[in-house]
Amino acid sequence: MARTELDHVTKVYAESAGSDVVAVDDVSIDVADGEFLVLVGPSGCGKSTTLRMVAGLETVTEGEIRLDGRVINDVPAKDRDIAMVFQSYALYPHMTVRENMSFGLEESTDMPDDEIRERVERTAETMDIGDLLDRTPGELSGGQQQRVALGRAIVRDPAVFLLDEPLSNLDAKLRGEMRTELQRLQDELDVTTIYVTHDQTEAMTMGDRIAILDGGRLQQVGTPLECYHEPRNLFVAGFVGEPPMNFFEVNLTDGALVGANFEYPLSEATLADVRGHDELVLGIRPEDVELVVGDESRSSGGAETGHDFRTTVDVVEPLGNENQVHLRFVRGDGADEQGGRGGATAEGERTEANAEELVATVSGMRQVEPRQDVVARIPEDAIQLFDRETGEALHNRELESAEVAEPNP
Amino acid sequence: MSEGSNTPGPVDPGARVGEGSDESRESDPSAFTTSSALRRVALYGTVLALVAFYLTPIETGLVTAIKTSEAVRTTLPFLPPGPDGFTVEKWVYAFDALSHGMVNSMLFTIPSTILCAVFGSMAAYGLTLVDWRGQIAVLALFIAGIFIPYQAVIIPLSEFWSIWMNLDERLAFLWALPLLEPHHATILELIVTHTGYGIPICTILFRAQYKTMSWEMIEAARLDGASLWRGYRRIVLPLSVPMFAVVFIFQFTQVWNEFLFSLTIIRSVGDPAASVTLILSGLGEALEGVDFPLRMAGAFIAALPTLVVYVLFADQFAEGVRV
Repeated sequence: MARTELDHVTKVYAESAGSDVVAVDDVSIDVADGEFLVLVGPSGCGKSTTLRMVAGLETVTEGEIRLDGRVINDVPAKDRDIAMVFQSYALYPHMTVRENMSFGLEESTDMPDDEIRERVERTAETMDIGDLLDRTPGELSGGQQQRVALGRAIVRDPAVFLLDEPLSNLDAKLRGEMRTELQRLQDELDVTTIYVTHDQTEAMTMGDRIAILDGGRLQQVGTPLECYHEPRNLFVAGFVGEPPMNFFEVNLTDGALVGANFEYPLSEATLADVRGHDELVLGIRPEDVELVVGDESRSSGGAETGHDFRTTVDVVEPLGNENQVHLRFVRGDGADEQGGRGGATAEGERTEANAEELVATVSGMRQVEPRQDVVARIPEDAIQLFDRETGEALHNRELESAEVAEPNP
Repeated sequence: MSEGSNTPGPVDPGARVGEGSDESRESDPSAFTTSSALRRVALYGTVLALVAFYLTPIETGLVTAIKTSEAVRTTLPFLPPGPDGFTVEKWVYAFDALSHGMVNSMLFTIPSTILCAVFGSMAAYGLTLVDWRGQIAVLALFIAGIFIPYQAVIIPLSEFWSIWMNLDERLAFLWALPLLEPHHATILELIVTHTGYGIPICTILFRAQYKTMSWEMIEAARLDGASLWRGYRRIVLPLSVPMFAVVFIFQFTQVWNEFLFSLTIIRSVGDPAASVTLILSGLGEALEGVDFPLRMAGAFIAALPTLVVYVLFADQFAEGVRV
């Protein structure tokens, strides 16, 4: 168990052509003792390189990696007391499961043979692979190999546990099970764990905290809910969450956001946040979009604020528990923008002008048919605003509503 | 095949009008069978001819080796001798003449084969599964080593051993020991020479296999605390057993059959260190003519160990070649 710190870590690959490739750019993360940190990002974002630097499989170009305060930049991989689970499992094919699991203890400790044997058997029982000990990896299924790979890392009782996309070769059902099991194991063992994945669902469900990387740069470190509700920038907002957040390019004119298909008036409080920025991106999570039918919209206050928009249902994706509804804005005929705003821009254009669509998630019990006309309400307390140039978040959804979403009051 | 089935049978066009489909269905298979039978005959004929072509020299060698000198003169080379022309005397003689050469050849072939395989495997490990600067340049040297022609080195080589190294004098203190003789110095020279010459090709063979090994597995071993050497010893070496079989067979055959180094380093057939190929070159040569049965018998005896090695490692060899 150990605290792991990455302090302004940079990795540059010198290409033979003379051009350097910066794989990891000035990343600082402090992983507390016993914490489960998930490094997540799209492929090629530098997450695996970061993990490999912690493992000692890659050199660090700049910055420091510390384990319990000790700088380990120059400590060879074999002396770091770190165990790693690889995406391909990397089991030793000529050894039995028992030998695979004993190997690390034999090589890195002076432990007597009986003790190694006992420990391997105990770990194998915990991992539910006790009856596989005398088989070779070639005789095991993918899921069993995965367990052996985990067992091999756990049995060594390392200071830090590194996992490089360990679940990506499993089928969806097994992946779900292993996700839960890994969390349980990590909780029991209480070992500092760094977990790399490209799958934001894994990141959200497993991590104590998640660190989001893009293009070698750290975008945000925080708890899953922080990253979900208070994304620091456009990238994080778009990366975290499934289905992803809806984005619309808008310009701030006259106290309202003017997009290709709609106008969205802002309250004074929100305006204060975005002051000085004109070119914005409006973000709204699909589950925050409300669908209101017919007259309901007029009575419930959406009309006055101008946050109701006429849309046509394009596609409905039923998932059982929820429906993902793809909507298209309807324009013209004075049917939209109850507040009467934007009349000048609306005139001349006719219906469904733009490919921009809005995805809303509604309850699975609710009947929504394609081509049905519905009114989509975008509540102002749930919107996120970003600067279009820098991607920086200017206005996050209001905290009260975020807190409501969290289980604890 | 498609050609055969498409060719219409000898059917009257008039008849086809009424029952065309039935007719063609019946006539086509028969045309097909005839032509395929012909094809088959041609195929077997060709195969048999090729078998005869390739086996005749060996067969000729075998029957010649069991003929008396008289029978060689009176019968055709590839025909077996009559009952009075049969003898195993040549085999016995050839074996007597070659036996100490066989022992000498074994003495340098086996160690140099093993050394080539072991060093080749280690070099390949260092050049493939360990990451360090400049390994491509070193690899280039190894590859260049494969292409150095024997003829180019025989003079420097014999100078090197006879003038610079002079092993039998320097190691003189050893010859008093039991089982060691002064001519073992020459054997030692051959071991070193063959090992040096064989390492590059063995390295490349091993490298081909190591390149297919999972890099993550090697890294896993390093993270498990294995040093460079332990990683080789416990992970890479056990996984390269099939390739060792390939290299053993290949290298054993190369070294055993090699003649030029024997000629330049041992020099004379009469030397106590004479190798089997060296003795074989002079076997059956005499002023009154060449003793063909003796030469043939000697050739078969000399070839026997390579066959034995192949049989011993055949299973592993098949697996190694697949890698």
